[in-house]
Amino acid sequence: MKARVAVLVFPGTNSEMETRDLLVDCGADARIVHWSEAASLQYYDAFVLPGGFAYEDRIRAGAIAAHDAMLDAVIEGAQAGKYVLGICNGAQILLEAGLAPGTGEVRRPTAAFTHNAQGHFICERVLLRRTVAATRCAIAAALPEDVLIPAWAAHGQGRLAAVPSHLEEIDNGDFIVFRYADVAGATDAHFAPQGSALGAAALTNREGNVLAIMPHPERDAWNFNHLDRSEGDDPLAPSGGSVLFESFVTALERR
Amino acid sequence: MRNSSSNCRRGPSLPDLAVAELDDEALRAQADSLGLALRVDELRSIAERLGRAPSLVELYAFDAQWSEHCSYKSSRALLGRLPTDGPDVVLGPAEDAGILHLGEHEGERYGIVIAHESHNHPSQVVPFEGAATGIGGIVRDVLCMGAEVVAVADPLRFGNVERVNEHQRAVARGVVDGIAAYGNAIGVPNIAGDCYFDGDFDDNVLVNVVALGLVKESEIVHSRVPRQGADFVLLLVGKATDASGFGGASFSSVALDAQEAQSNKGAVQVPDPFLKNVIMRASYRVFSLLRERGVEVGFKDLGAGGIMGCSAELCSAGGFGAEVDLDTVNVAVDRLLPEVIAVGETQERLLWALPEDIVDEVERIYNEEFSLPQVAQNARAVRIGRATAEQHYRLRHRGELVMDVPIDFLTGTVRDTLPAEAPVPPTMRRERDVLSERTLDDLFHEILAHRDVCSRAPLYRHYDAVVRGRTVIPRGEADAGVLAPIRGSRLAFALSVAGNPRIGRIDPQRAAELAVYESARKVVAVGGEPIGLTDCLNYGSPRDPRQYGELVAGVDGLARAARGFGLAYVSGNVSLYNAAANGHAVPASPIVACVGRIADLSRCVTLPLKEVGSHLYLIGETQRALGGSVLASILGLADEAAPEIDMERAVAEHRFILAAAREGLLRSAHAISDGGLLVTLAEMSFGCVAARRAPIGIELDGSVGWSSVGRNESLFGEWGGVVVEVAPGDIERFEALAESLESVREIGTTTAEPLLSFEDEAWEIADLQRSWSRPLEELFL
Repeated sequence: MKARVAVLVFPGTNSEMETRDLLVDCGADARIVHWSEAASLQYYDAFVLPGGFAYEDRIRAGAIAAHDAMLDAVIEGAQAGKYVLGICNGAQILLEAGLAPGTGEVRRPTAAFTHNAQGHFICERVLLRRTVAATRCAIAAALPEDVLIPAWAAHGQGRLAAVPSHLEEIDNGDFIVFRYADVAGATDAHFAPQGSALGAAALTNREGNVLAIMPHPERDAWNFNHLDRSEGDDPLAPSGGSVLFESFVTALERR
Repeated sequence: MRNSSSNCRRGPSLPDLAVAELDDEALRAQADSLGLALRVDELRSIAERLGRAPSLVELYAFDAQWSEHCSYKSSRALLGRLPTDGPDVVLGPAEDAGILHLGEHEGERYGIVIAHESHNHPSQVVPFEGAATGIGGIVRDVLCMGAEVVAVADPLRFGNVERVNEHQRAVARGVVDGIAAYGNAIGVPNIAGDCYFDGDFDDNVLVNVVALGLVKESEIVHSRVPRQGADFVLLLVGKATDASGFGGASFSSVALDAQEAQSNKGAVQVPDPFLKNVIMRASYRVFSLLRERGVEVGFKDLGAGGIMGCSAELCSAGGFGAEVDLDTVNVAVDRLLPEVIAVGETQERLLWALPEDIVDEVERIYNEEFSLPQVAQNARAVRIGRATAEQHYRLRHRGELVMDVPIDFLTGTVRDTLPAEAPVPPTMRRERDVLSERTLDDLFHEILAHRDVCSRAPLYRHYDAVVRGRTVIPRGEADAGVLAPIRGSRLAFALSVAGNPRIGRIDPQRAAELAVYESARKVVAVGGEPIGLTDCLNYGSPRDPRQYGELVAGVDGLARAARGFGLAYVSGNVSLYNAAANGHAVPASPIVACVGRIADLSRCVTLPLKEVGSHLYLIGETQRALGGSVLASILGLADEAAPEIDMERAVAEHRFILAAAREGLLRSAHAISDGGLLVTLAEMSFGCVAARRAPIGIELDGSVGWSSVGRNESLFGEWGGVVVEVAPGDIERFEALAESLESVREIGTTTAEPLLSFEDEAWEIADLQRSWSRPLEELFL
């Protein structure tokens, strides 16, 4: 049986459809679940929180959504070992909910993806490289070794920020699953287009069952999305950013 | 303009306007004191037709409905000259948006819904909110056709943004921020646009917006009550009505006075993209409910004229009258005046005309499933009235009839006949030895860094180009944005915009023709077959014969070029009074958007050079016509003629380029526009860097010394044409395909060395790119 994945929609979410489509193309039974249907979330095997502007980014991006009733199910599921993937605004919500890096209490964030260094929204192509061992985060475990994942940074608040000692803890504890990379695969804080601390693009938790990723791999995830399409490929086939979703579905199937 | 204090309740004793008893002077004074833009003769004709003194609510209703903004009274007769029908036209310009046939997928016919609007006046007064509500309004125009909104684009014209002009810089930044804040939040990708800077826009920036939607042609919802719609329920959806946007329609129909601008702020609406995001998704759910039930309904956006304008047009378009009870409207504040509830332009509202038996379910979707009242204060779906067989438009407030007029009189055609003075464009076509004083190197760098030429990335990187994951080519990677709107289908559309104000200033008719040509050329350059157009006519005052003459010439140019290319306009907008109080108007600015069909998205073509050793071809004929070029503006050449279009040849060229793209013979392509050929070539090389590859160089043939028209005209003229990159192995097929087309010639090859070389010149690509990429960074970063 296919893994049942809930794609959560808060008021203001805007990336639920492509996120659901890509999960389906990667073999999951993915469904969109609305805020008015929170009670149904307990029946799902895994949760994906897509991008957007949940609750209008009021207070801070993700801050209100982290207290939405839907997060009760997500927090409970994450603590029970269910896989949780948050993308962009979904990642911000997971940090606000204290699920990533998850070193503090629930709903007491220890770090945030906050306002970009340039002070405004940016939309540009980026490359991501996994900079932890394959075993560190189950969701990213099935990625091909050394793969460079194409994605789009499309956010106004994507800069990882925390107090220096906590950043050290995040770095040393291998919480940073992906960092911004150049075309040769080198990683450096300078490659983060919004000045994210440690060049971080994605954080996991201690247990490795939660992944909060700031850029959007699902927007460069079919052949037709790519910068240089090679002729002969099926333009509608998933590729590129889809490897992360394939890894996510593989992890679900292996459980 | 009325001020906000008039939004409080006055004493009940205030009388109706006793039109018949006042002489012209007294009537004008009374009308002015009420903030009415209606003319004296219009006031008299209203009183005469009603056979009594009109009530205040009626006056404000006619003021909105007969404003230039709603009635197109100065332009409607002209617009009849535009071609609006053709093989790909599903719905011409009769409703909130037009529809073009995109293609078929799995036995279904799909249409592209397209609307094109301006939000010029509001953006001048409050740039952020003005530009944001521009996106908000146009998205509703597309949504209400039953469509999923899939893309937006923004043509922008700003003033002189040199560092000393802090106000112009703030306006430009505010507009871009407003577009980003709204478009990004609702989750519609921004895939195309253009931007020009010119001191002649200092008093009136132009903020146009284009939105596209996807609809199955069998599921189109019309902006009218259907034939069987007598007694259909009018269901208002969205934000609680407030006092914002009162007087918006007539505000957009008068020239702007800088001093008054401040007091006009109340006429601009307040955007709420967060609520809109939810309304859009809830409406998609309603569409699927209507599909299941097979119910025919009407759906319309609330724009100018508010509840009154929308309900009157929705009902009269179906041949009905309407009755609306203003007390049922969900309001944000108590004690709003009836005229404010009736004609105020609060954003984020739509109006359904539904059969009684489905209303409860639709209400439940908005109010419970998508919980609008929790999303924004007192936002909801609410019944406000009915369509009536009787041909009257009636409004009730506190049990009283406050408006009762024949509906066709309210929504009918009002036309002004105005004197026009035909523009006299310059005709000079002399060869200029302009390089005697300036070196080629010096000029080339200045042109690359010119504000109309340099990289737009610092601007468009504020916009989400890829939300929804269906973007094939975002802005910056080709001449047009490309999007694949149907999951599982290789069908895609291309979208481009064009309208060069440097040409508009010297030759209004040619500017319109060239806008059509450029928008079509850009679609062709990505491998898209042009299937339809929209236009937004941005001009000065129709009361000024010279400025009105520019509009007339522009419409003629649009008509001529569209016929030449075999295209039709399916929607459009007219924005007049883009003039300052001193009479100074914007340059004639007909702005055109073109939609192209791409049958197989694996065949679309991007701009960056792909390989070393390719052959570069120019498709197009050089002309001795520097008029309106960037070179002319740098050198101060004011009396040069604008380029002409040989339409027959251009059509043949486009057909050839599309055939070559379909055959997979084009590695890259780039249309020649602002800055000319040399800039086009340089940009193809810069594209490699954005594509994360080493820059590829270009070696131009000696033949670029070219022909009879002169070197500067060849290198920097803006006469159109397209440059394409062809693999050595494909040359034979490419040239065979060109057949007898004489305007195809090889002009050079691509090289590993990152140089653009030409005769004795050899520019480092990196140096050129520095000049080109930076100028707008300081403004928008």
